[in-house]
Amino acid sequence: MAEFLEDPSVLTKDKLKNELTANNVPLPSGEHKKEVYVQLYLKNLTILNNKKSPPADTFSSDEELPAPVVSNKSRSGRKATKKTDKPRTEEVEVTDLTDEDLKQQLAKHGVESGPIVASTRKLYEKKLQKLLDQPPAEPEAPTDVTALPKADSNQNGNTNSDQYSDKEDEEIAAAEPEPVPVVEKPVRSRGKAPVTVRTSSRRQTKVIEEIITEETPKKASESVVEDILANEISTPTGISATCRRPIRGAAGRPVKPSEYWLDESRVQHSVHTESRSYSESLSRPGSKVSTGKAPVRRGFLSLLLKLLLLVVVCGSLYYAYQNLDSDQINTLRGVLDSVIVPLQGTVDKAATYLGIGSSGAQESIGE
Amino acid sequence: MSSTSQKHRDFVAEPMGEKPVMALAGIGDVLGKRLADKGFDKAYVVLGQFLVLKKDEELFRDWLKDVSGANAKQQGDCYGCLKEWCDAFL
Repeated sequence: MAEFLEDPSVLTKDKLKNELTANNVPLPSGEHKKEVYVQLYLKNLTILNNKKSPPADTFSSDEELPAPVVSNKSRSGRKATKKTDKPRTEEVEVTDLTDEDLKQQLAKHGVESGPIVASTRKLYEKKLQKLLDQPPAEPEAPTDVTALPKADSNQNGNTNSDQYSDKEDEEIAAAEPEPVPVVEKPVRSRGKAPVTVRTSSRRQTKVIEEIITEETPKKASESVVEDILANEISTPTGISATCRRPIRGAAGRPVKPSEYWLDESRVQHSVHTESRSYSESLSRPGSKVSTGKAPVRRGFLSLLLKLLLLVVVCGSLYYAYQNLDSDQINTLRGVLDSVIVPLQGTVDKAATYLGIGSSGAQESIGE
Repeated sequence: MSSTSQKHRDFVAEPMGEKPVMALAGIGDVLGKRLADKGFDKAYVVLGQFLVLKKDEELFRDWLKDVSGANAKQQGDCYGCLKEWCDAFL
């Protein structure tokens, strides 16, 4: 559209007439003086020129955009009641905003955004969308009487955590959609579900907490998981590396390992003092069991003792073989026999006293 | 602070130069291919995106997920790798 002249007298009469007719201005019949046409031109067309940019009008075209914004705001304020229902009639459609407007909107919400370029635009739109969804949800929940989420939260007995948890929800749910459905199943199977099943948002937060805590010990058995969970909550990130403890009762390991090992060590020591050959046979299964479970230090000690015994026994046998005197051997045998009988008695007593008894002996013999 | 992988340490040890996008921690063959298909064939292009997002963690993670379908751990590894590289060389 051509800009209209402030001073139409520069134009010829014919040109003025043409301009007027081109803009649907009724021309006076007949031929008039140029002044007439100039006046007409000024009246009708120059005014149009001004209409494009009114200096001080009640209706300004700039406010066309914010005006519906204000009305929409008030509308959306009463409209959205349910938390689950997220209406798209927010202030503005984020996708329709220009780059600059988007930046401004983000700044309003206190978000300092970087350049809004092709690759970043989508992200900032999403972010603004999130921000727009949040505020309508928060102030409405406590004020709206008929609001369902309030009833829900009352049932659960915790309003604030719901509001806060939503934020966590969206951030983490966006980042970790995969583990959520995976972990939900084990959570339910474990029977911790009753609290988590009620509201979708609460369930997600519970699950998310457990995602963080359970990501690492997924492989561990159920009996050990509780211990690990108790440990992991204390750490800031909720994730900590724990040594995989051997599963009790598996792979032939005894159910109560520590006690059993202590008894064995006591027995070992008592045997060592009494007789050498018997101690060797007993210490072997004992040390096998002990080294399987107990700390390495004690394993070394028993190993050392074992070696020592072996050396001593070998030495004594060699000495005996050297002499090869039947009398001496007979006396030695007699001594051994006299020692073995009371030894057996003490071993049995100790075993029965500690309650392991025949089962333990069988195990040791079996190994 | 979680421990870093060898890949992370290798990347952060020197200027990235013309390293392929798969040199980034958290980006393996599959993700690397997806990124390359979208035009992010070199590590420095991803760095460019990281910087345009003003090194914001949340935005970068969202973007990475959008573009390549990376999971939370991969996102975290990649972000950490780039952040540390920037701290050292930028």
